[in-house]
Amino acid sequence: MKYFILTLLGILCFLQGAAQNDTINVLGEVLLQDIRLKDSSYTRNYTVLNDSVLKRNQASLTNLLNFNSNVYFKENGAGMVSSPSFRGTTASQTAVLWNGININSQTTGQTDFNTINTRGFDQIVVKPGGSGVEDGSNAIGGSIYLENILEYHKGFRNSVFLNYGSFNTYGVNYKTAYSEKNTSFSLGYSRNGSDNDYPYLGTERKNKNGNYHNTNIALSGGIKLSRFDEIRLFSNIYDGKRNFSLPTPNALATKYYDFNTRSLLEWGRNYKRISSSAKLAYITEDYEYYPNVNNDFFTYGNVESLFVKYNLNYRLTKKIALQGKLNYTRNDGEGSDISQEIRNLGSVILGIKHQISDKVLYEVSLRQELNEDYENPFLYSAGIGTQFTDFYHLKINTSKSFRIPTYNDLYWQGVGNTELSPELSYQGEISNLFKFWKNTFQFTVYYNSVENLLSWVPDVSGVWRPQNTERVEIYGLETMFHFQEEIGAHKFALDGTYAYTVSENQATQNQLIYVPYHKLTASLSYAIKNFSAYYQYLNNGEVYTTTDNAPEHILDNYMVANLGMEYALGKNKNYEVGVQLLNLWGASYASVLNRPMPGRNFNAYLNLNF
Amino acid sequence: MKKNSNVWLLLLIAVFLSSCSKDDETIENPTLPEGEYTNGFFVLNEGGFTYSNASLSFISEEGTVYNAVFSAENNRNLGDVAQSMGFHEDLAYILINNSNTIEVVNRYTMESVTTLEEGILNPRYIIFDDNFAYVTNWGDPADITDDYIAVINLENYEVVQKIEVAEGPEKLVKKNGKIYVAHKGGWGYGNTISVINTATNSLQTSIEVNDVPDGLVVKGDFLYVLCSGKANWTGEETNASLFKINLASQMVEEELQFPVGTHPGFLEENNNTLHYVVERDVFEVDLATFSLPTSALFSTQAQDISVLYGFTIHNDVIYIADAEDYSSNGEIFTYSLDGELINNYSVQLVPNGFYFNN
Repeated sequence: MKYFILTLLGILCFLQGAAQNDTINVLGEVLLQDIRLKDSSYTRNYTVLNDSVLKRNQASLTNLLNFNSNVYFKENGAGMVSSPSFRGTTASQTAVLWNGININSQTTGQTDFNTINTRGFDQIVVKPGGSGVEDGSNAIGGSIYLENILEYHKGFRNSVFLNYGSFNTYGVNYKTAYSEKNTSFSLGYSRNGSDNDYPYLGTERKNKNGNYHNTNIALSGGIKLSRFDEIRLFSNIYDGKRNFSLPTPNALATKYYDFNTRSLLEWGRNYKRISSSAKLAYITEDYEYYPNVNNDFFTYGNVESLFVKYNLNYRLTKKIALQGKLNYTRNDGEGSDISQEIRNLGSVILGIKHQISDKVLYEVSLRQELNEDYENPFLYSAGIGTQFTDFYHLKINTSKSFRIPTYNDLYWQGVGNTELSPELSYQGEISNLFKFWKNTFQFTVYYNSVENLLSWVPDVSGVWRPQNTERVEIYGLETMFHFQEEIGAHKFALDGTYAYTVSENQATQNQLIYVPYHKLTASLSYAIKNFSAYYQYLNNGEVYTTTDNAPEHILDNYMVANLGMEYALGKNKNYEVGVQLLNLWGASYASVLNRPMPGRNFNAYLNLNF
Repeated sequence: MKKNSNVWLLLLIAVFLSSCSKDDETIENPTLPEGEYTNGFFVLNEGGFTYSNASLSFISEEGTVYNAVFSAENNRNLGDVAQSMGFHEDLAYILINNSNTIEVVNRYTMESVTTLEEGILNPRYIIFDDNFAYVTNWGDPADITDDYIAVINLENYEVVQKIEVAEGPEKLVKKNGKIYVAHKGGWGYGNTISVINTATNSLQTSIEVNDVPDGLVVKGDFLYVLCSGKANWTGEETNASLFKINLASQMVEEELQFPVGTHPGFLEENNNTLHYVVERDVFEVDLATFSLPTSALFSTQAQDISVLYGFTIHNDVIYIADAEDYSSNGEIFTYSLDGELINNYSVQLVPNGFYFNN
C-alpha cells in the first residue's frame, strides 16, 4: 500500500512538472554584478529557513534541521538529548549562534538541539563547513544561526500559533509586535510540552518517563536614533524540564532542567563608507540533573558569559571592503563537579573582500586568538567566487578553525586536564551553484582534517579522562536543490539534500561512530489557491555504534516521512489550519541504539495573524 | 528548462521509491543446540551505560565463541549494564545494574525462567546460601544511606528481606553461616566489611579495613581483603593494603601496605597463592609467607591491553578481560600460571567477568 501511494505521489508530481512554494531558499548565489560588499561570506554557502518553514515543522530545532538540511542528528528518543553532526564532525563541532553570539554550552561544548525552541526565532540559517574566523570556537563542522529580525513601520501585529497532537503534545505560541517608523518592539511567548508516552513499535513497551515541557520568551526592540544609527535589544529566556525516558522498563526515573537566558544590546551605525556594530551580550546557562525524580538530590553546572564585540566594515572603494573585529569573552562557571573558574578569551580579526571584476570576487580574513589559558591558534579563511554565467557560480574556500576545551574537559574534579590544546581543523571546499529561473542546484565537495580531537578515553586504570587524541580525516559531498513550477493555479516545489560523508579516525582507519555515510532529505509541496500540502522525507544511512565498526552493533538505516496539509482562511489568508501525519508509514526506527522513536502520530495546528 | 527539472524529478522519485530500509544483516554467529551451554565458560559483557547493549558470550571447551547467547535464546536484549552473574543449581542469575533487574535463566539452555524486578535497585553481586540468594544493592544514587542486601527466596523469586548496610556494598563471600560484604563504595567510597548472620539475616558486625575494599577471598580460617585505596584523581589519595582477617575473632591479623600511588585490584586464590592486578601486571602473594612481592608475576603488556577489566583463575588458567576503549568489542586472554599466553577470544562490549559452567 505504502509504495502504491508513493508511486501515485511520484507520478502526480511528474505529470504536473516542477513547481513553487517558499520552503527553502538557497542563498549565496547572489549575482556578483550588483552586490554591495557587506560583512558576510561570499565564498561559502548557506541555507535560510524562514518563518513559514519554521511553523510547518515541529518546535524543536532537531526536527526542523533533520528534515530540511544535511545535518545529521542523534536523538535519545523523541524530545530527549539531541546532538548534531555536521559534515561528519562531533556534536561539539557545530557552533550555534544566537543573533551572532555563540551559545554552545561552556560545560559540554555542545548544544542540545531539543532545548532550542524554533518558535522564538524569525529565521534560522544553516551554514556548513568551518568558519572559525567568523563564528569562533566550535565552528568546525558548521554553524547554525538563530536570528530575530526587527521590522519597522508595520504597525500593531499579533500572531497566535496553537498545535495539539498525539501523546498530548501541545504548543501555545503568541507573538505581539508593534513598530513605527523609528521604533520596533516585539514579544513572543512559546510553551511546548508532551506526555511523550508513545508505544515502541513491535514491542509491548511504551516510552516511560519521557514527558517534557518548556517555555521560551523572546523579546526584541529597536530604535533608529538617526538615519545612520540603530540601537537593537534582544532577550531570550528558555526554561525547560524533561524527564529522561527510561532506557529499560525498570530503570530509575531521572529528570533534567535547563534554564538559559540571553541578552544582547547592539549599536549599529551605517555612515557613508563605514558600517559598524558594537555588541554587548550576557548569557547564562544552567542545568540540574536529578538521578532520581523522587529525590531532591541533583548535580548541576552553570556558566555566565559576557561578550563584547566590535565590528567595523570600511568600504575602501566600491569594489574593496575591509573588516576589522575585536572580540572579548569572559566565562565564569562552576558546578557540582567543577570548581569555580573564570576564563578570559579575546580575538582580533582582519579581513578584506575584493571584487576584481563583475565575475570574480575574493575574500581573505585572519583571526588571532588571545587568551591566557592555552595556546592561541591563528585562524584564516580565504575564498574566491566566480560567476561564470548567469546560471553558474563557482566558489572555492579554505579555512582553519578551532574548538577550545570545555569547562568539563579542563576542570572536572580529579580528571579534568588544564594542559589540553584546542582542536584544530584545516578545510577546503569547492561549491558549484546552478540557478535556472527559480530553480537552484548546489554541489559541494569538501575535505577536513581535524587534529587534537578532544575526547574522553579510559586510561590504563579504566578512568575516563579528556585527551587530545586522534586525527580525523573527513571528506564528502553535499548536494542541495530547489525546484519550483507553476502550472495555472497549481504551484509545486521540490527540495532535497543529500550528503555522503566519510569521517575516518586516522589511528584506526575506522569511520567515526554515529556518522552515516548517507543522508538524504526531500520535500515536495503543492499549493492551489488556499490549500497546500507537503510531503517530507528523510532517509538516514546506517551508522556504527562502536569504534571498532563491529557489524553486529550497526544501527540500521531508516526512512521517515511526514505528510501535512494546510488551508488558509480569511481575506488576506490570515488564518491557517493544518494537520500533519508524522512518520506516515509507521516506520520503526531509532537514531540512537535502543532508543526507539514514535510510530505514526498526528498533529493539528491553527495559525492566526491579526 | 522544464525538461531539465523533469529529469531531476525522475531521479527524485526513484529515491522516494527506494525507501524500504535494508533488511537486518544476519551476523555470522553460530548457535548451539538447546542444552548445550555446558562444558565451557560464559563471559559477561556489561555494555555501555544507558545503551542497553549488555550481552553474554559463551566459549566452549573447543574454543568456539558464541556471542549474544541470551538474546539468541530469548529474542530480547539482556539489558543495561550487566554487572555480574551467579549459578545456583540449574539456574543462572544475571544482575543487570542499570536495568534494576535480575534475569533468571536455565544455565544450560539460556531459556528465561523469570525476570526479578521488585525490590532490586542497582544490583551488584550475588551469593547463595541454602534456599536464599543475597544480592548487594546500591539503591538510589541520590541517597547514600539506602544501600542494602536483598534476601531473595529462591522458591518464588521474591525479595523477602532487605538488610540495611553501609554505603556501596559490592562483592560477597561466605563461610560458616556468615556472609562477608565488601563496602567498596558506590557513589562514594567505603572502608568496611559487613558481617551478615544468615541464621537471622541480620548485620552482625562490621570490620574496618582500608579504603575501597575490592577483592575478597576466604581461605582456611582467614578472610583476605584487598583494598585498592582511593585513586589520585579523587583528590584525597590513600594507600592500598592487603588484609588478613581471622574469621574466628573477626579481627585484622595482618595488614600489608602498598607503596603510595599503587592501586591494585581484584583478588583471586589458587594453590595457596593470592593473585591481584596492578594496571596491566599480575602479582602473586604466597599465603605461607604473606608478604608483598617486589616484582610482577607477569605483564600483559605484549597483548597491549587497554583496560584490564576482568580477572580470574580457574583450573590453573588465568583469565583476563580487555575492555578496550569501552566502545568496541572486548577481548579475552588466557594465560598459564607463569604468564604464558594460551589463547585469546573476541567477545562483546566491555567484558567484566567469567563464569565456568561445568
